Amino acid sequence: MGSVRYLLLAALVVSMAQFCVGPAYADDDEAARADRWKDLQQAIFPGRPLKDGGGLIRLDAPPRALDAALVPITIDMTGGKRVKGVYVVIDGNPSPLAAHFTFGPKADPSSLKMRVRVDQYTNMHAIAETQDGQLFVATKFVKAAGGCSAPAGADDDAALEDIGRMKLHLIGDFAAGKSEQAVLMVRHPNFNGMQMNQITRYYTPPRFIRTIDATYEGGSIFHLDSDISLSTDPVITFGFVPQAKGQMKIIVRDSKDATFDHSFAVPGV
Amino acid sequence: MDHSLSAASIRPPRAGGAVRALLLTFALSVLGRPLFAGEVVERKVLAAPEPQGYWTGPINSTVPVTIAGGKIIHDAHDLQALLKGGGVVVLDVSNAPRRPENLASGAPWLPLPHQAIPGSLWLPGVGLGEVPPSVDAFFRERLAAATGGQLARKVVIYCHETCWLSWNAAKRAIHYGYRNVYWFRDGIEGWKAAGLPTSLIKPEAEPAGESGRQP
Repeated sequence: MGSVRYLLLAALVVSMAQFCVGPAYADDDEAARADRWKDLQQAIFPGRPLKDGGGLIRLDAPPRALDAALVPITIDMTGGKRVKGVYVVIDGNPSPLAAHFTFGPKADPSSLKMRVRVDQYTNMHAIAETQDGQLFVATKFVKAAGGCSAPAGADDDAALEDIGRMKLHLIGDFAAGKSEQAVLMVRHPNFNGMQMNQITRYYTPPRFIRTIDATYEGGSIFHLDSDISLSTDPVITFGFVPQAKGQMKIIVRDSKDATFDHSFAVPGV
Repeated sequence: MDHSLSAASIRPPRAGGAVRALLLTFALSVLGRPLFAGEVVERKVLAAPEPQGYWTGPINSTVPVTIAGGKIIHDAHDLQALLKGGGVVVLDVSNAPRRPENLASGAPWLPLPHQAIPGSLWLPGVGLGEVPPSVDAFFRERLAAATGGQLARKVVIYCHETCWLSWNAAKRAIHYGYRNVYWFRDGIEGWKAAGLPTSLIKPEAEPAGESGRQP
């Protein structure tokens, strides 16, 4: 009885699929997205094959974002120290390479979180690069639009007032040699030049974070090359491996060549 | 900026609402005829009140369901029918991406090709809340050229769903004296959702110097 019902259901689904997926636009969009990704691979990883990331890298994001200017993404990687770096590509954004993390010896690259801007319905890709230079890709489709022209806030001057201020929040209990998750919050409007200032009434000049370096006791956790696709007031969650209590140093450089740095004491046992 | 929203009940676009499409397909495939023959499905649509002048608030926020002095197209198929009649000027007024200075040299700047309703003229910048005289003159001149100076020509203006640029631009065209201005509220997303074809276009160059503004 149950199997008959499933058969009927399956037949119904198939017949629906014929009608619903029928319009050419769906296929056209799929084809256009595939072409776009082919072009981006050529531009970002010329001549390098990308392998399916299943098992090594996973990308998660809300399928329909509440705020296109603040889309949370999570990248999980199980490759451990084999992972040298990770690229985040937002296919539909005009500047598609949103972030490139290069992990250092103090890193635990198993999990990474950040918030990004999404300009239109798009595929997102996270690409892990292993120490031996292989690339593994994970994909996620996200419905969000307008993130690039969404104003950063009501008041640009206020946003610039405490630019570069940072906070670091550690998750979990410290244990020497064990991986620890840290949440880094940086005050920075990350103006992309496409936002309209609500007060001066003109396009806000671009000013965005170009790089972030995180080190622990002098050893690199990560180096980030970023871009206008990072959200206002970036929040990045990353893993590192403290050996004893020590100092974490964060250095942020932006497109106006301003440098902001801050040291945080990581408590011992 | 707080604006009260009212829910207006309007006829939904024919292709709008995946659930409705599913129901219809269900009806067609299982029963061979529509389940709800003759029923007009109503749907609550969020609508902002029409502002007095041009909209100067956030570009991507709830739009009205009316435009004084103009007509609204709620259904992409109605627009398709209108275009089939010929002699219609179609304007896409969505923003064009702007490359920020000091982008990392290795970072690719690759804005996606711009999908438009076939035959559209892309005029970025003419739908902002306030435009400088140069943009105003540019819009007047392009409209005059496209319509052959006939104020009675049908002019369709659109951008995206939930986007005020087209509402502002339509209002501006009405203000210039065009008597048959149609605002296509659902924008390119509505057109594509109806399964209609698009073509790739490039923007008409914005006049150099001062750009418009959105207070």
